[in-house]
Amino acid sequence: MIEPLLKVQNLARHFGSASAPVRAVDDVSFEIANGETLGLVGESGCGKTSLVRTLLKLGPATSGSALLDGVDITTASGRRLHELRRKMQVVFQDPYQSLNPRMRVDRLISEPWALHPGVLPKSNWREETVKLLESVGLRAEHADRYPSEFSGGQRQRLGIARALALNPTLLVCDEPVSALDVSVQAQVINLLAGLRRERNLAMLFVAHDLAVVRHVSDRVMVMYLGKIIETGPKQSIFSAAAHPYTQALMSAVPTPDPRRRGQYKRIVLQGDLPSPANPPSGCRFRTRCWKATSICEEQEPALTARTEAPGLLTACHHADPESPTRSLAREPEPMSTMAR
Amino acid sequence: MALLEVKDLQVSFDTAAGRILALNGVSFSLERGEVLALLGESGSGKSVTASAIMDLVPNPPGEINQGSIRFDGVELLQLSRNERRDLCGDRIALIFQDALAALNPVYSVGWQIAEMFRIHGRTPEGGVEKAVFDLLTAIGIPDPESRARQYPHEFSGGMRQRIMIAMAVALEPDVIIADEPTTALDVTIQAQVVDLLETIRKRSDAGMIFITHDLGVVAELADRVAVMYAGRVVETASVFELFEDARHPYSVGLLASQPRMDTDEDELVPIPGSAPNPVALPSGCAFRTRCPRAEGLCAEVVPSLEAVGPGRQAACHFPVSPL
Repeated sequence: MIEPLLKVQNLARHFGSASAPVRAVDDVSFEIANGETLGLVGESGCGKTSLVRTLLKLGPATSGSALLDGVDITTASGRRLHELRRKMQVVFQDPYQSLNPRMRVDRLISEPWALHPGVLPKSNWREETVKLLESVGLRAEHADRYPSEFSGGQRQRLGIARALALNPTLLVCDEPVSALDVSVQAQVINLLAGLRRERNLAMLFVAHDLAVVRHVSDRVMVMYLGKIIETGPKQSIFSAAAHPYTQALMSAVPTPDPRRRGQYKRIVLQGDLPSPANPPSGCRFRTRCWKATSICEEQEPALTARTEAPGLLTACHHADPESPTRSLAREPEPMSTMAR
Repeated sequence: MALLEVKDLQVSFDTAAGRILALNGVSFSLERGEVLALLGESGSGKSVTASAIMDLVPNPPGEINQGSIRFDGVELLQLSRNERRDLCGDRIALIFQDALAALNPVYSVGWQIAEMFRIHGRTPEGGVEKAVFDLLTAIGIPDPESRARQYPHEFSGGMRQRIMIAMAVALEPDVIIADEPTTALDVTIQAQVVDLLETIRKRSDAGMIFITHDLGVVAELADRVAVMYAGRVVETASVFELFEDARHPYSVGLLASQPRMDTDEDELVPIPGSAPNPVALPSGCAFRTRCPRAEGLCAEVVPSLEAVGPGRQAACHFPVSPL
């Protein structure tokens, strides 16, 4: 069997006191193969960013491991960590904050080579910078400008070029397009898709926009309150999701087609995300779930393979691919006035 | 006669980089009971349009140079400051995008909702207090008696946005302007808020201007759409016409660049380039530098908003031909 590029096992990241920790990431396991794109979705506060930061070792893991090419990120330090960082790079959400405004573009892009001597001799920096700029759709003359001279979309391209400078095998994209306008967002998505094909890049693509995730991902992972509640190949998740939360999340995304208005039964979840410092017992979603019964309170559901969709894993006692959005016969009980 | 009619509105701002025309001839109308979506990307002038209607353009540096805003037959731009203020909140209400910034952190939520009644000198039947509790109940906040005494920071983002809605509809306005009311919210909470807004609006048959950049929300909510680009309305159409048969190349491009939840597309078709710098807009049509249909004429003459079918308009010299 081929080893996956990234293998995360029982990873946890807790904040605050040891007696009453905020379990931002709790017992998370997953893998990413070479050249594969894994989409990570979930609402704010679900632990997406904490997971990403732990994987990038921008914060310590509380327990568990994350092996990149067989080397554990969570325990690596010094030279080993330095070497790991060459293989994994990150594209941040905010292209206005992630680029140093005082650095010219040529310096921004060649900085990774300065930090990793031996990757590229200094005499080649300029040539390689221009190549990178061109590969992200910018021009050679842009190398002599400052970030403030670029638009949001162009800055995100700069961020991508910089992330690619060390020729990483894993690119972590944390909401890379959510700060961009729709017309520009599509440019950056296409750019990432193209680069991924050309360079056989593996990506962890974090986003809250399900349509974007559907477009870029091979597999998708859904998080809720620090846990992975469902994961599987894109087709399975988008056509046969069996977890009520995934179903609700998808039904809540408005369809950009006015003719379909009212044809879909929308599942309107009650209430808000509970506090991760004091999550519900058993299944963490049960307080907002219309299927919850006493077992959900007592026993935490484990990720279990579903037989009807290949590769789909669901953590739910009442998992059922028949979403109420698809079968109009069984209706959930949303807030009384909210049914459409 | 339209309930609200905006004509040829021009708003400028003086900045260090020079004078910016934030709105450069914006025209649209809103009927009673209708939902009009103002659709556009950042910097297109959507929010400035809302500010101009609500008399919230800061002066200086902002200035309304020309145009007209008629509400129920009255020209708003000729009213005095006090007359405008009486109308705003009472008959025209605004829901802001950022509820945390819009709510006052040092007053209780109940006090802020009640302020609407106090300022406009209206005492609802059964007293102000009861009206506040009723509003909180209507927006789905349990235990209104104790929640009314709490402060904005004690509510979640979705609840705060619903409180903004309660304040806006407290006096049953004729026009509700919702400025990206769901942009800062998660999608499941967004669904709650949009549904609530529609339920409440339908009850009073108010007209609504819904400002957004989200095509999905437009498709679910709007009756008509005005697409904005660089301070102008470039297309108006019914929501069905826009999604199936858009005429302005920008509208067409916007629709093609949106990834979809319900289908697998091979590749998105983005609009090349990015929005123009408002200090140095291209001559002629502001979209021409990104437009696949642009020709010489587009650089010379600004296209005006003209009829391209019954009840619909586009501002383009070479509109996309009908299906």
